[in-house]
Formats: sequence, structure tokens, C-alpha cells
Amino acid sequence: MTRIPDVEGSDLVPRDPDVLSIGDRAAAEAATRKLAEGYEDRAWGCMSSRHKFCREPCPVYQVTRNEQHTSYGFHATVAAMSQGLVDLEDAYEQYAYCTQCGACELRCPNTLFTGDFYRNRTQLVQLVKAVRAAGVEAGIERGSWKRWNDDTVTFRNEMQGDPAQVAGWADDLDLPRGGETILFCDCMAAYRQTKVPRAVSMLLREAGVEVGLMNDQWCCGGPALEMGYTDIYEQFARHNLEDWRAAGAKRVVTLDPHDYITFVEDYPRLFGDYGIEVLHITDLLAELIEQGKLRLERPIPVSVTYHDPCRLNKRRGIWESPRKILRAIPGLDFRDVDHVTQWAMCSGAGGGLPVALPDVAEKVARNRLDAAAPIGADVLASACVWAEDHLERVAAADGQMPVVDITVLAAMSAGLLEAEPWLAEVGRNREGAP
Amino acid sequence: MTMTYEGVNRQAVAELVDVLGAERVVVTPQGRLIRAMVPAPFPFHRWADEAPEIAVLPETTDEVVAIVKLANRLRIPIVPRAGATGLNDGAKPNRGGIVVDTKRMNKVLEIDTTDWTVTIQPSINMLKLNERLAPYGVWYPDDPASYPVSIVSGRIGTGGWSLLGSRYGHVRDNVISMEVVLPTGEVLEVGQGGGRKIRHSSTGYRLKDLFLGHQGTLGIATQATLELYPRPEAEFPAFFGYESFDAGYRAMQPFCRSNLATLAGVILFDERKVQYLRRDDEAYIPEPESLQSIVAVAAYGSEGEVAAARDRLMRIGAETGGRYLGEELSELDWASRHDRYATPLHGRSRDRAVHMSWHCEDAAITYSQLPFVKQRWHEIADRYIAEHEVFDNWGMFFYTNNAYKGWGDFLVEIDIGIWEQRLDEDSWRAWTNLKREITQVSLDAGGSISACHGATREGEVELVPAELGGQFDLMLKLKRMLDPNNIMNPGKYLLDQAYEDGEG
Repeated sequence: MTRIPDVEGSDLVPRDPDVLSIGDRAAAEAATRKLAEGYEDRAWGCMSSRHKFCREPCPVYQVTRNEQHTSYGFHATVAAMSQGLVDLEDAYEQYAYCTQCGACELRCPNTLFTGDFYRNRTQLVQLVKAVRAAGVEAGIERGSWKRWNDDTVTFRNEMQGDPAQVAGWADDLDLPRGGETILFCDCMAAYRQTKVPRAVSMLLREAGVEVGLMNDQWCCGGPALEMGYTDIYEQFARHNLEDWRAAGAKRVVTLDPHDYITFVEDYPRLFGDYGIEVLHITDLLAELIEQGKLRLERPIPVSVTYHDPCRLNKRRGIWESPRKILRAIPGLDFRDVDHVTQWAMCSGAGGGLPVALPDVAEKVARNRLDAAAPIGADVLASACVWAEDHLERVAAADGQMPVVDITVLAAMSAGLLEAEPWLAEVGRNREGAP
Repeated sequence: MTMTYEGVNRQAVAELVDVLGAERVVVTPQGRLIRAMVPAPFPFHRWADEAPEIAVLPETTDEVVAIVKLANRLRIPIVPRAGATGLNDGAKPNRGGIVVDTKRMNKVLEIDTTDWTVTIQPSINMLKLNERLAPYGVWYPDDPASYPVSIVSGRIGTGGWSLLGSRYGHVRDNVISMEVVLPTGEVLEVGQGGGRKIRHSSTGYRLKDLFLGHQGTLGIATQATLELYPRPEAEFPAFFGYESFDAGYRAMQPFCRSNLATLAGVILFDERKVQYLRRDDEAYIPEPESLQSIVAVAAYGSEGEVAAARDRLMRIGAETGGRYLGEELSELDWASRHDRYATPLHGRSRDRAVHMSWHCEDAAITYSQLPFVKQRWHEIADRYIAEHEVFDNWGMFFYTNNAYKGWGDFLVEIDIGIWEQRLDEDSWRAWTNLKREITQVSLDAGGSISACHGATREGEVELVPAELGGQFDLMLKLKRMLDPNNIMNPGKYLLDQAYEDGEG
């Protein structure tokens, strides 16, 4: 079979100008064959179902309502590639429409009802990464992702921050370098959402957990891998692991779910079992609270609803610990939305979506905030600095509720941080309410 | 007169881009190929030949009107596509052309809590619609197997059937009125009489039914007003096991005639279905081998009524020799009714596990004829399976089929696994022959070819004139009157005959 011919006049529908084409059909076809061979079977696993139960929970589909932008759509294109009807140069553009949140993997009947028995789990995230990587390898890439990754290589962080200032947020905190427990701070937290690592550091010190910083923290590399830049990812991963080993680290505490999933899912694929325990801060804090080592005693008189970060809830099953922390804060009115309902929600901040398709990412965030609004909470809390930063900007533009990290709330309740300005604002609004 | 079509050309693309903007016009190979099919059996070995030339994603009635008028003027086929989750192939283009993919038309326009209606752009999913309705204490109870994904406009196009129909009615009963863009581009308001929220009227002909189940051949629904019901205070599902199909079959009748207004549905599983579930379904593995058939029942309504229904249903189960399978299995199986029963991983080709697609062949059959149809369908399926490794028998279900009552005719389904990745022209031919034989049995039993999907596919559509008789001739006249250029979904339901020489 050969690629299906273009319809007359198809040139009147321009391709996404962000996609940099190689214009070399032979190279594209070779890359297509290689990709199709690796993923053909799982594509047919999905095509054989075609129930499309993955569709409505998909946060990107909820915005575009285009059935190509679903797990089913992505697998159908691979099946078409396996028959030679589509090549990678056609297909690559479609695979940007994914935040790699994992909702479709959970909602797939092949995973839900028989997955345990057959040891089967639909793995869309891996497929999306593989298509993007095949594109980059063949010279088909997005200009926006290429620039972003070039900058990340230059600065060794995603924020274009001065590499010498990667621990600048901790200048007055007197944290040691190295040690058995390393706090991995995340690029967003190091340069913009600095109150989060500060809160985390204070909470851990209060609970008697000694943490040190890396000698020279680089980006975790996860986002590069998510966009298909495997070489860059490996460069970062090797550097970070060497740094941890040089520091004598036995465990790494992450405060961002993107770092966490990179360390627990991707690094082992590259290094095997690398002998360092990786924790997400919410699991650690919940444990410290339960053990009585961390006391949250100052009341925080606000109503809070919680946004489950996709990489914690949908992809790693971490949804109880954040709720335990919120429920431990005195005076706080926690208005929970259960974690299964939240399979269909996402901030839109992941998988390179805001870099490639900022309008779509913004609409995903708006849908998340619109879902929170009827709950009538004062504040939307989360445990992901990328989600919070993205939601915060859209919420500010729309006049929606403030967004805050769960560790900041915990630090306020532990008396380690002064009340933030939004708290006074919430109080004033309440007093003025009829 | 025979119709000739033009392909999509430069002028058409330019005009479509002008109406919709380039971002809602799809010309990519992958965007066309995915819109070539639905979950119905699909000849993947000739996928390229089945693809539409272009797809468009309108958002408003005006845009749909512009697309339809353009297609009429340029003589290009248009195929409405809603959720594309049906097991018939209404949304599959038979002549290329323009696929009008309506999924972006999903706005809730009005929730009327006084007269209890909801007015929508109809391409919203029912589960999502019910999330919007929940704060008002009401719901829209249409509950097909595809409930978490299918959308109202597709349910309108197929005249869909609901698992809860015996309590709450089916799509025909719960769509009060619609706005439809006709094949000529005119916009028609159609309902019971004239008022958008009137449920029953004696004025004029009952034209609403014409636009429910036409498989995209008569129009595109762009707005719909739906019935609302109070959210059920209680639901009670119960599963009973029987030692033979005959025992289950005999037990079904007293459940169906239990005189309970809360009875939402009764489902009978045959022994082949139980065997299929035992392949590895943890819910059935612990059940003793003597369990050969299951009757599942469910009641929905107010707490007091459902409590009373529970007592009566449990008594009927005991009196008919059924073994109650327990609260856990009953509740969990009922809760997972939308997706537990058809998984590709259960596929077996000569005892080898392979990915197979679920295909449900259905018919409407009276109670007295169910054993005859069951025996004949299994004989036919097994004969083809013996010859072709791409087919597998996944057993049969029998469901209550009528609105607001449990008796009468039943929806009968046989589930056939198909190894679509291995289909070729020979096995595809075998599939359509298998279908044709099954369909003939339904007619021999005095039944109807399809209770819930429609009957437009090769292997069944050839027998539609035999089933409908003079009604089919009237269908041809109506089609030609409403769609003078045979633009809308041409090639479906043998309606091309309306345009052959000497007709009309």
C-alpha cells in the first residue's frame, strides 16, 4: 500500500507552521516503518476495542472535540502507518495534542476490566513519546519545542534562569550540600514558585528531616523526553545521577510530580535499579504528620478544593497523601472532589502542550477552573508547581480563585510562614458577604 | 435518472475554509482515515478506499446549513458523523465526500427546571450532560452500552435503545423536539405538534419519528429538546443464576410481567455468554460450573417503591429456582454494565488468545421465538467459525426491548469476536454471508432485523425491503422528496433505488 493521495485543494488548509518538515519523504517513510513495527500490536489492541471510552475523559479532546486528539485517534494513526497509508511527516503534528496525563490509560476497558488478568495496560504516554522521538530522529520537529530544548541545554533549566542561581531560593536557609536525603527542587520552583521549596525546606527541618541540596542541579530531563529529545534527556539524567552519587544520596525527595515520575519511571529504564529511593513530598509529609513529627496547629480558616496532579493521581496512584495533609490542617474546610472524577481533569501544563499549543493549554486550564468554581471554595490547592503556575495565570486573568501549593498551606499551619496576602483577601470577602 | 457525484475539488475546499476557517477543515490522511469507520466490522484490508475526502467540524446551525447548501450545489456527498460509536455504519461514508463531524456542537442551551426539559446542541455525551443536570436533581436517562462516550445526536440518528428503557423509555420517547437541517439546507423544527416542549399532540402527522433512526440520510440534528426525569433515589440490581438456558428463559417471563413500574430492564445471558465470561472474568470464575444461565434485573425509582420491588424480585428469583449471586456481584456487574462484557483481550482464535473486536448482531424478536433464534444463530456462527479462524462466538444476551414495560418483543444479540487485523476479501465475504444468514433467521421468526443499531450494512440491508414491504417503497419516496440530489449519506439503506430510472 501507499500513502493515500491528497485531496485537490488540500494546500488551502495550511499545516501547523510550528512543524518543521524535513521534506524528505524517503527518510520519513523509513522512520514510519520503524515506528509502526514497534507499536503495531498495541495499536491493534486499541483498534480492536474502538469503544472510545478514553475520549470524554481526555482533557485535550474536551477542548478540541477532534477525535484524532484521543488515545483512540493516536492508535488509529499508528495502525494506518502500519499499513503504509500515512507517514510520520503527516502524523507528527497530531501527537502534540496530549498532556501525557494518563486518563485514557485508566479509562481504557482493556486496562480496567481485564488488564490485571492479561497483564495488559494501555500505554498511550509511551506511544506519544515514541512518535515524538521518532520525529526528532528523522528531522521532523516543532520549532517551539526545538527552541525550548535548545534553551534548556544552554541554561540547564527550563526557566532560562542563571545556572549559578539554581539554589538562590535557599540563600538564607542555610541548607547543606549533599547528604543522605537530597531535595530536588525543580526548575519552576527554583526560579519562579520559590515559596514552595522554601515551605518544603522549613517543614522538613521542623520535622527533623535533614535534607541537602545538589551540588549542581540540572533539569530532570523529563520534559525533553516528553517532547522527543531523548539525547538531551539522557545528558541531564546522567548528570543528575552522578551528582546524587557524589553526594552519597540514599533518597531523593521531589516536590514536583513531573520530576517524581521522571525519576521513578524513566530513570530506571535508562539506568536499571539505580539504588536511590525517590519520594514525593506529599507522601513524606503525610507520614510525618501521622507519626506526630510534624504538627499543624495554626488554624487556616478557608475552604479549599484540591486539584489532583495527573502524574500523581492518574499515573502513580498518589491521591490519599495530599488529602491527609489537607484534612490535618485545623480550621480548613476541605471540599473534596474524588480522585476518580478527577481522571477527566488536568491543568493543561504538561507534556509540552503549553509550549507547542498555548491556546489549547489555556483552555484546558479554564475547564479545570470552571469545574472548581461551583464548589464554592475560597482556594484551589494542588501539589504540582507547573499546574499551579499555569492555573494561577489563567485564574488571575479570569478573576477566578487563588491557586496555592499544599506545602505552603501546611507551612502556614505549622507557623513557619506568615499568612499570604490572599488569605486576608478571602477573609475580607467573607466579612463583606451577605 | 441516476446520480453522478463530483469529488471534493479546489472550489469546495476554498468555500469550506471560508465558512469554517482552516482550523476546522480536515484534509490530512490520518484525519480522513479515522473518519472512515465506526466500531462496526470494518474492512481494514481496503481502508484507503473507504476514506472520505475531507472532514469539517461545524459549531453552529448556520455553518451546517452553509455546508449542506454547498454540497448540494456542487453535488458532493455529505455524511453526518456524531460520536461514531455505533455498531451500525450510519456514520461511515460509502461514496467519499464530506464528513460533517458535529462533535463541537455540544453546548447546553437551556435547563428548564419548571417544565423539566433540557435544550442542547445535540453532540453532547449523555454522561457529561447528566453531570450538568445533577445539581438540579434531574437526569436524562438514556443508557446504551456506549453511555460514557456516545452523543445525543448519534442516538437521534440511530433511534437508539436504552438499557433502562423499560422504566424510562428509549430515545424516541425522550427526544421531545428537534431542529433539523434538511438535505437541501432548509431548517425544520420538528416535534409533537408545534411547541418545542410539547410531549403529546394530535395535530398533524407524527413526523418526529421520521427524523429518529434515519442513519444520517434525511438530515442533521442541530438542536434538541429532551425529557428530564427526577434522579432515582434508589436503584436495585439483582443477578440470579440458573442451571440451564431453558430455566433462565422460563424465569425471564415472570420478571418481565412483575407489574412493577420501577422495573428498568431484564437481561438473560445464555450458556455461551457464561462460558465466554468464564474465560477469565474474575466475577464468574468462582461461580459453580452448574451455573449455565443468568437473569439480571434492575429497579429504579423512589426509595419506597424500589424497596417493595426488591422484595418482589427476590421472591420471583426464588420461585423460579434462581440462585441469587449476591449483593457484591450484582451491584458491581450492574455498575460496569457499559464495558465489562466486550473486551478484545477475551478473543480466541482456535484457542489462541488474540485481539478481537466485539461485534454485536441484534434483532427484535418476540418472546415465543427466542429459543428458535438462539439455536439457529449459534449453529450459523459455529459453522463459520469452524471454517474461519478470524471469528469467535462470545454468546448471546436477551433484553427487554419496549418502552415503559417488560413484555412483548426482546432485543436479541449474538456477540461475535472478529480478528480484524487478519481480515481479507475472503473472510470479509464470509462475514457478510454470516450476517445475511443470521438476518434471514430473524425474518423467519417474524422479527425485525435490528432492535437498536439500524440495518444499513452489507449482509443485512439486502433484506430490508423484504422486512418492510410497502413501507420501503414509501421510504424511497420520502427520501427523494427530502433529498432531491441524493446528497445526504448516499448508498445507505438501498435508497439509491429512489433515483433510478422510472422512480419519481
